[in-house]
Amino acid sequence: MKNINQLVFLRFLFIILSQILIFNNILIYGISPNIYLIFLIVFPLTYNKSLFYIYIFIAGLILDFFSNTYGIITFSLLLSAWFRPYFLKFSFGHFDASKVRKTADYIKETSLYQKLTFLILMYFTHQFLLFSVEAFSFEKLDWIIKKTLISTIISIILCYIFILIFYTKNAR
Amino acid sequence: MRRIIDFLIKNIHSLTFTFLLSFSLIQIIDKNFYHNSKFNFYSNSVINTINDFKQNFSEYFELKIINENLIIENTLLKNNSINTAENDSIISDENYTYIPAKIISNSIKFSKNFITINKGINQKINVEDGVISKIGVIGIINNNSDKFSTVISILNTDLKINAKVKNTNHFGSLSWDANNFQIMNLDDVPKSALIKNGDTIQTGGMSSIFPEDIPIGTIIEYSLPDASNYYKIKVKLFEDIGSVNNVYVVKNNFKQEIKDLEKNNEKY
Repeated sequence: MKNINQLVFLRFLFIILSQILIFNNILIYGISPNIYLIFLIVFPLTYNKSLFYIYIFIAGLILDFFSNTYGIITFSLLLSAWFRPYFLKFSFGHFDASKVRKTADYIKETSLYQKLTFLILMYFTHQFLLFSVEAFSFEKLDWIIKKTLISTIISIILCYIFILIFYTKNAR
Repeated sequence: MRRIIDFLIKNIHSLTFTFLLSFSLIQIIDKNFYHNSKFNFYSNSVINTINDFKQNFSEYFELKIINENLIIENTLLKNNSINTAENDSIISDENYTYIPAKIISNSIKFSKNFITINKGINQKINVEDGVISKIGVIGIINNNSDKFSTVISILNTDLKINAKVKNTNHFGSLSWDANNFQIMNLDDVPKSALIKNGDTIQTGGMSSIFPEDIPIGTIIEYSLPDASNYYKIKVKLFEDIGSVNNVYVVKNNFKQEIKDLEKNNEKY
């Protein structure tokens, strides 16, 4: 069993680097898929909350520097991190978070619909926040919603493949 | 003290979250040009409304002084009207319109100072209209919203005004060197002009912004640098820009016509 700090740090490096080096350069319908949200989705539930927020903050800051959007990704990532416990409760029911040690456990024990609900909620919230902060006015609401829907669909497909590749081994 | 520490320990997670969130929000507003200008637009309209309210309130306490000034101005105007009745040959300034306005914020401490007045597009004030007071020039409008306008003060190193020595036709340009808020520099007055300390400086008629012959100040010092054909003149202003309150916006009714005419000339 690896040390949990080591695990989080390696995930941090791997996911951020793959976002910056690979996925930022891919454009599908004018949108690059957001893989970095996986870092937030599979973050250990029992981790220290302040450290969790600081990790998310630093991740957002690095992503911001590399895409020239100062503070926008950080802001929306932090807010979605705040929403995460409520979405977890909504999609997986009242399960005891303190007993779950690894993300793989709740991936194994939950159905596809529960997983998809969680992913859609997380992604939709994050992308909606991201695009509305970027546009900074609700006159462009149709533009915001269109962009949000397209990028949510694309990112969820990629994200689900990503999770299947790295967690099915543990889940079986 | 113990309670404060207890509170901090208890709420450490939400405090960290709030701190990081506000940091990112500050970054959004500070670093992104578009967000910054949008934010400034909203905050400026709020600040100007508050300033206007404050001005309304403090004005009430100055009513007595304002009344006295009005009486003095009234008597002056009465005297003038008697004079004009006797002398028909004076032509009134009918190509300029004067709109009274109040200064709601003012500064003299920077090198590029701006003033805000409480009249705007609703009162048909345009960019590049002049602003004067009874005894001096205040500045030129550079930006306006529905109810407010900002003015480039003459205490701004970017502004140059056409000025002349009274009763002569020698022109120069008046500018500020950011040192003393009562002293301005008048350059480009030719060597042939007969000037002495105490002469009055007025606006010249060379620009379409200000009417001619508005008093500006008096000469307190002048010198002729070696091998130069132009005087260096220091002018003391009549108006104390820092404490001025009531101003007039000057609109030239024929400005568009003059501009069109000058544009035609450029073709040749």
